[in-house]
Amino acid sequence: MQMNPVIEKELKTKMRGWRAPVLISLYLGFLLLVVFLYFLANNQLGMRGFQSFNPRVAINAYNTLALFQFLLLLFITPVLTGGAISSERERQTLDLLLCTSFSTFKVVIGKIVVSIAHVLLLITASLPIMGIVFLFGGVKPTDLLRLFLFYIGTALLLGSLGTFYSTIFKKTIVSIVMSFLTIGFLTIGTYIVMLLYFFFVDRFASTPQYYQIVAFLFSNPLFGFGSVIENTLSSDMVLSGLGIASSSTAGVSIVIKPWIINLGFDLITSALLIFLSAWKLKPVK
Amino acid sequence: METGNKSEWGDKVMLIIENLVKIYGKFKAVDNLSLEIGKGHIYGFVGANGAGKTTTMKIVAGLLKPTSGKVVIDGMDILECPVSFKNKIGYMPDFFGVYDDLKVTEYMDFYSGVYGIEKSERPKITDQLLELVNLTEKKDFYVDDLSRGMKQRLCLARSLIHNPELLILDEPASGLDPKARVEMKEVLKELRDLGKTIIISSHILPELAELCTSIGIIERGKMVISGTVEEIMQKTSHSRVIRVKVLGELDGAVKLLKEQPSVGTVSVHNDYLEADFNGSDEVMAEILKAAIKNEIPIVSFTEVEKNLESVFMHLIGGEENANESRN
Repeated sequence: MQMNPVIEKELKTKMRGWRAPVLISLYLGFLLLVVFLYFLANNQLGMRGFQSFNPRVAINAYNTLALFQFLLLLFITPVLTGGAISSERERQTLDLLLCTSFSTFKVVIGKIVVSIAHVLLLITASLPIMGIVFLFGGVKPTDLLRLFLFYIGTALLLGSLGTFYSTIFKKTIVSIVMSFLTIGFLTIGTYIVMLLYFFFVDRFASTPQYYQIVAFLFSNPLFGFGSVIENTLSSDMVLSGLGIASSSTAGVSIVIKPWIINLGFDLITSALLIFLSAWKLKPVK
Repeated sequence: METGNKSEWGDKVMLIIENLVKIYGKFKAVDNLSLEIGKGHIYGFVGANGAGKTTTMKIVAGLLKPTSGKVVIDGMDILECPVSFKNKIGYMPDFFGVYDDLKVTEYMDFYSGVYGIEKSERPKITDQLLELVNLTEKKDFYVDDLSRGMKQRLCLARSLIHNPELLILDEPASGLDPKARVEMKEVLKELRDLGKTIIISSHILPELAELCTSIGIIERGKMVISGTVEEIMQKTSHSRVIRVKVLGELDGAVKLLKEQPSVGTVSVHNDYLEADFNGSDEVMAEILKAAIKNEIPIVSFTEVEKNLESVFMHLIGGEENANESRN
């Protein structure tokens, strides 16, 4: 079985030259800065430097790092995938691919796999920084694995989204902007819609139920992210962080965790977007 | 799916285009176009910019869906076999890009992979094709470092990777300097000798006449004339063109020519004039005698030798005049 030539070529060309090492360096530099500033701020607020080091600080540093890494992923992935197809169109190489018997599905999959591989590279490169918190304990390897699984799921969704817009719009910049608008809607828009519903329709007549919150936020990557790091959070901040008191969910059985629901949404939506991209890319339907 | 199309070529037909129509909004880019190309033939597709050549070629390459009509390649209707027919064609567009960050061999390896060629076979195929297009010495160069002509030849090599039976070449020599054009022509001659069926569009008509077994002239999406170069010359040989160069004012010569019943349109150029002439050599000699008798200072009086270019200009001019009079 042969490797998808699109993956082979893209991996080769993306890792060639100065762009990849510069991106990795900037990414890691930013994460290091976050860790440094976090510890600096906490030491200043603490009593006397490392002698009075609180292990909770390390765990919170992990949470902060995880959040920043997640936000970076939300910003970087659309940029990486926004030109997946449109850049081929812009440099007039798309027709040369489409006039072959190579399936458009393979082209789309190849582009998405490469973008996920790129994100994975960034995440893997950040492992030593994330590993700092293991020196102090409090974070289990399974927490980290779950977090990385969630990152990959989100990268898949964002990669599929970027590729889909890249297939529809001729200009790379337009597809990137559309990706950011969609991410903005998923992360902030769904939250606003939920608040509007509870404020104007429900008027907080009853205590918001878990299923109601999930109904609004199942697609929200931040909602899933909050859930995926809940083990390392000091309190039930997933829902309370969204403005809903943690007591409101007391007694409500949370059968499926929000991050699993969110991951399911990512997978189903990605499959749909990949299918639509491949179909749209076919020159003769 | 094999189709049972009947053709003047019998089993030896490679491409049949039947009543092809392509409409963009209100604009008819291809208007009921039909043609046939036999296996091993080279068909020159001639037309002005916007005549519909590229649209037709894109449809044949499976990159555009026709509004109506049929395209059959080696017995396969391209709309019924939208994927499998692509293994039979090699397409080189008029404008194309290359992956500048790949080396020449990597570029060929990538497209070999796209065509599903085994990894072990790729170096041999790449070497053969680079030799064919005379790029062996550049195999380790980055594509970005190649000249325009070399990139054109590389793109041609790419279109041959899977050994297609039909080559669709849209303006393969456009934008090339004379040396690169000659090199491209040499490669095309080699492909002709290898027995490939080629449909080629070009503006460089004398080169097409030299290469092609048949020519089709297209204007406003319609096939104006089609056949071998000789057939086209014969079909359009009912009129001859006389070119007269005169010293000083041209008015006297124009007046004289217009009085002749065997002379049609007279067109005035900078220091000479051209006239459509429909008569024998004797009549032409009589016109010259009359000019001398009228003391018109003639510098030269010649019949313009017909070539594909003049036929093309004559036909396209005729079409334009016809359209103007219709409007």
